[in-house]
Amino acid sequence: MNVPASLLALGDRIRRRLEGHALAALAIPTVLVLAVVFYYPVTTVLIEAVVVDGTPTLATFRRTLQDPFYFGDLARLLAGESPEVVLQNLLSADRQLGIVGFTAYQAALSTLASVALGLPGAYLLARFEFPGRRVLRSVTILPFVLPSIMVAAGFVATFGRTGTLNAVLTAVGLPRLELLYTIEAIVIAHAFYNAPLVTRVTTAAWESVDASAVETARSLGASPLRAFVDVVAPQVYPAVLLGAALSFVFTFGSFPIVLALGGFELATVEVFVYRLVRDLEYAEAAALALVELAISLTLLYGYLRYEAAHTVRSRGARPLPRRSLRPPSGLRTGSLRELLPRAGLAVYVLVAAIVFLAPIASMVWASLTGPTGITLDHYRFLVERQQTGAAFQVRPWDAVRNSLLFGLAALAVALPMGVVVSVLTTREYRGRKLVDAVAMAPLAVSGIVVGLGLLRGLVFGVEIAGTRIAVGGAVAIVAAHAVAGYPFVVRTVAPGLESLDRSLTESARALGASRLRALLDVELPLVWPGVVAGAAFAFAISTGEFSATVVLATGTDQYTMPIAIERFIGRRLGPATAMGVVLLFVTTASFVVIDRLGGDHGGI
Amino acid sequence: MTGDNVDRRSFLSAAGTATAVGIAGCASFEGPAEESGNGTTTGDGDRTLVVGTYGAFIDAPSTSPGAWLKDAFEAETGAELVWQTPPNGLNYYIERHNAGVDVEADLYLGLNPDDMVQIDENVDGDLFAEAGDVEGRDDVKSGLDFDPNDRAVPYDTGYISLVYDGTAMEAPETFEGLLEEDHRGDLIAQTPGSDTGRAFLLHTIHEFGVGGDYDYLDYWADLQVNDVRVLGTWSDAYDAWSAGEAPMVVSYSTDQVFAAQSDANLEEHQIRFLNDQGYANPEGMATFADAADPDLAREFMSFVLRPDVQGEIAQRNVQFPATETAELPDDYADLAHEPPEPVTFTYADLQGSLDGWIDDWERQFAGDD
Repeated sequence: MNVPASLLALGDRIRRRLEGHALAALAIPTVLVLAVVFYYPVTTVLIEAVVVDGTPTLATFRRTLQDPFYFGDLARLLAGESPEVVLQNLLSADRQLGIVGFTAYQAALSTLASVALGLPGAYLLARFEFPGRRVLRSVTILPFVLPSIMVAAGFVATFGRTGTLNAVLTAVGLPRLELLYTIEAIVIAHAFYNAPLVTRVTTAAWESVDASAVETARSLGASPLRAFVDVVAPQVYPAVLLGAALSFVFTFGSFPIVLALGGFELATVEVFVYRLVRDLEYAEAAALALVELAISLTLLYGYLRYEAAHTVRSRGARPLPRRSLRPPSGLRTGSLRELLPRAGLAVYVLVAAIVFLAPIASMVWASLTGPTGITLDHYRFLVERQQTGAAFQVRPWDAVRNSLLFGLAALAVALPMGVVVSVLTTREYRGRKLVDAVAMAPLAVSGIVVGLGLLRGLVFGVEIAGTRIAVGGAVAIVAAHAVAGYPFVVRTVAPGLESLDRSLTESARALGASRLRALLDVELPLVWPGVVAGAAFAFAISTGEFSATVVLATGTDQYTMPIAIERFIGRRLGPATAMGVVLLFVTTASFVVIDRLGGDHGGI
Repeated sequence: MTGDNVDRRSFLSAAGTATAVGIAGCASFEGPAEESGNGTTTGDGDRTLVVGTYGAFIDAPSTSPGAWLKDAFEAETGAELVWQTPPNGLNYYIERHNAGVDVEADLYLGLNPDDMVQIDENVDGDLFAEAGDVEGRDDVKSGLDFDPNDRAVPYDTGYISLVYDGTAMEAPETFEGLLEEDHRGDLIAQTPGSDTGRAFLLHTIHEFGVGGDYDYLDYWADLQVNDVRVLGTWSDAYDAWSAGEAPMVVSYSTDQVFAAQSDANLEEHQIRFLNDQGYANPEGMATFADAADPDLAREFMSFVLRPDVQGEIAQRNVQFPATETAELPDDYADLAHEPPEPVTFTYADLQGSLDGWIDDWERQFAGDD
């Protein structure tokens, strides 16, 4: 078919015009979605801390801050006591941390544990080649989606008095461990959730390190260690710190797992936010949630400042070649240097098997056992509920289908949102890190507050000109999931964009590419591992999400797998664990598919 | 605490007037009511009763009365019964009411005594209406009535007791017995955020009182020294108990009914009523003040109180009936145990005190000291 040249030129012009404004056109809906399904709803709740009786007041807020129960010795500082006396108290043996102080303390320990358990995993995945490596990398974030009730059950079965670990210890003649209901149990459970996060983001960063930079350093005479310290480490640090910062934020806001494995003596702030909301004491709940938010956001802001200040410019990513996990045979000189890391990794794999695999394995085991031994009854229950369940009951397959649909849709929304925000926050302007921190708020706000806010802000709606406008159902669920997941995309994509040599985009633009073209054709391919990691996180967040989904679902036909699990918790955990195993399989398969579709990150 | 509540009330009244009136049906959300919107209509479609309740009442993995109750009520009246199970239960309707949004349900099923206290302390205007003339209302056991304002009508009750593994131990018979060295670390309870945990805490307050020489806080201090575990939910606690973390757990006195269903060894599921008492946790139903069809709601309440229906609900909810006239199989008491002496706090006892009791307990138990 012949098309007149002028028409072609016109089409080309329109396309260019559209592309030129595409980023702005994407930025507007992004901000809109954030405002409607996050900032506005959350504000309806948090505002209760400072607006009482329709008038602004700081009375409740101040009272909460000055309460030693929450803030320990610090509360006395806020109450006006001299800093010197308070400091002396803090340094003495009978210091009081208060609930907030204790929460920060356990979060700090949990962060250390998560990094310690996560880093070797990244080393293994990024630097070694072995069968199943890609599948393993795909499923690292699996713990992230597991409902706390399943993890708690898995931990009791693994680390309990009569659990697997103690059975093994006594079998080999070692003393038993009393792990449950201690801060150690909480820390290990938090590492179970967050070490995979550290592993995933660090692996993505490590895989983006350009091999030629290392080769250059080596050719200039640097030892392997020197090359690592000078070239590789600076590019991996920010990712490790990101993993640490996120671990802290998540464990700081942790709640059901703390009560299940630690008990009320080790209660965190979020436990009290929950209890206060349940008993309709909103002002105090909102005040505590605001404090939580302030602490988490400050930390994230600090991280973002660090990230911006420690950007290493790079021109691309030809990944470092991986080594075989099997030590090279017939080595004499330098064999220690080959063997030591592998021996270390062997120890790591053993520890990881205990912390990650054992609880998951006992979850699977619980789904296959009843009081009278091995049984398929719990799976039979799922099939029966599917076939005979009433319309108002949760049906397993519907839950699986909804989870997959919402997950894919949330992924499709979160990716462009995340990329747009990444571009906007990596441009040079004053206060951009502040914007970045505010954009990360969905990670830092109490889940209980988000749930209540969505109820008030979306489900009940607002009245405009005599018409009540309310939002609920599938679209709202997808939007809420996307908002919860997009910060991960930003955090895995933005550092890469920031580190890209600006001259690359500049040359592309000089050659006539629009901003969008330059982004799609030049920049994103260079930071592709980060994009794929972000996509996997967005999907994971969606499939694991509970509190927003249950609020926004307009019926059982919109229930997802985590809701089905919650509904199937009965006197015995059997049916719920069976549904948990279904979730395990569905998400594992999904992660593998996402990574495969993402391609092996060869770069250019 | 009280100050907060006063502040909160007045704030809500201000917010309420600002947002009041009218729902335009156009908006997408019609609450979980939509659940049974298509295909399940068995009634004549003219009359619909929307009933809010908690999830386990209609959708528990073992047994729940919801489906049966819906079918039976619809068959008899020709009306349609629609279940709603909002995620945060009663608080969902309180939120709707406080936001000035139509409640969109006719009746709530699953009210506890402390719910009524909380509603009256935190809600503006009337969330529920008086029950009015409900047939069978007089059959309700007098000890179970918990709403002096006559809105909530009890329809069943549970008793909170200890459940223990009889193959591992013999549970103590008194509260003091739990403090013995022999029972160090033997008990798993729950926070007052859960129904069972709250009932157990209230039972200790009932037993030891508040503010005396040795009150409930002193008892709990001793209990804590003796290594009691207070976990988050009933599920956390029961699962830990099942896994052998401790031989005793705070749970329901109907535990053996479930145990028998799954062919478990009943020796491992023994019931102990401390001091021969069980803390009663009656569940009630009440009509929303702006119910669309209050007459049908009353009809439903009468239906629920009928002797045969009372028996069915009790068995399917694994609880005890609320009426004297309920029809239960003779062997029901073999597995579902009732305490020699049921105890509970009345509305008047709880009013103005409940928040403070819980608050003081939390501050002691989780505090630094």
